[in-house]
Amino acid sequence: MMKASSFKWLFGRNSEFWPTNMKTGMWAWVGHRITGLFLVFYIFMHLAFITTASLSEDGGDFNALMKTTSSPLFIAMDFLLVVVVIYHAMNGFRVVLFDMGIGIKRQKLIFWVCMAIAAILIVAGLWAIWNFIFTSGGG
Amino acid sequence: MSMAEQRIATTKVAGTWARCFKSLSEVLLVTVLAFHIYADHFMDLDDKSPGDQLISFEDVSIRLDQLLYISVDYGMLSMVLLHGLNGLRTVMFDFDMFAKRKKMVDIGLWVLGIATLVWGIIILLPFIEG
Repeated sequence: MMKASSFKWLFGRNSEFWPTNMKTGMWAWVGHRITGLFLVFYIFMHLAFITTASLSEDGGDFNALMKTTSSPLFIAMDFLLVVVVIYHAMNGFRVVLFDMGIGIKRQKLIFWVCMAIAAILIVAGLWAIWNFIFTSGGG
Repeated sequence: MSMAEQRIATTKVAGTWARCFKSLSEVLLVTVLAFHIYADHFMDLDDKSPGDQLISFEDVSIRLDQLLYISVDYGMLSMVLLHGLNGLRTVMFDFDMFAKRKKMVDIGLWVLGIATLVWGIIILLPFIEG
């Protein structure tokens, strides 16, 4: 059984994770882990959704599910997924640069450059989703 | 132990190979994911009329008649699982309760990864055979 004291490094006021103690690099690191865990959860959900294709021989269940996922709630979730993937990818790219010894001393600047690129990609993603759903008739 | 020391310790437990795999799979993933999203959502958009269902069993089935798309989808699933479960392993090793049971965690994640890969291979079969 885990003792509560074992998590002091994670939750305590003196912990590096306490919001006021966190600096840019730590926010980036925490964000990377949270988005990573979200994406691991998502891949299992994605597979569960596709599993419906094998439930009916003509793919009728899959088509019905695809129709459901074109509702505004699911479109909003798709957009959230785009944000999460782009953040995780751009911060991951930054980590790969550090692994190669590039830009370690300018990590804060590189973080913000990567986030600027991420913001552009997110806007492009929003535009693509908008085009996909509304220009093409939806569903 | 400070957080920086903790992270260095985590990397030591997780291993250099795991870190290399993670970086390599990330670069490959970004490329394949971009292709997957384009192929699944945007490639045939011009052929659709307003009101048509944009993703249907039939469309996916036609696409998966080609070996290229089957390879991309299965390859991506393998890389996503490698990258995702490797990342999950690194997060788990931040906690003593998992770091002390490295072998058990490794075996558990390999079993989960292989089982999920088999699951993923099976669920695409109706599209490929359809």
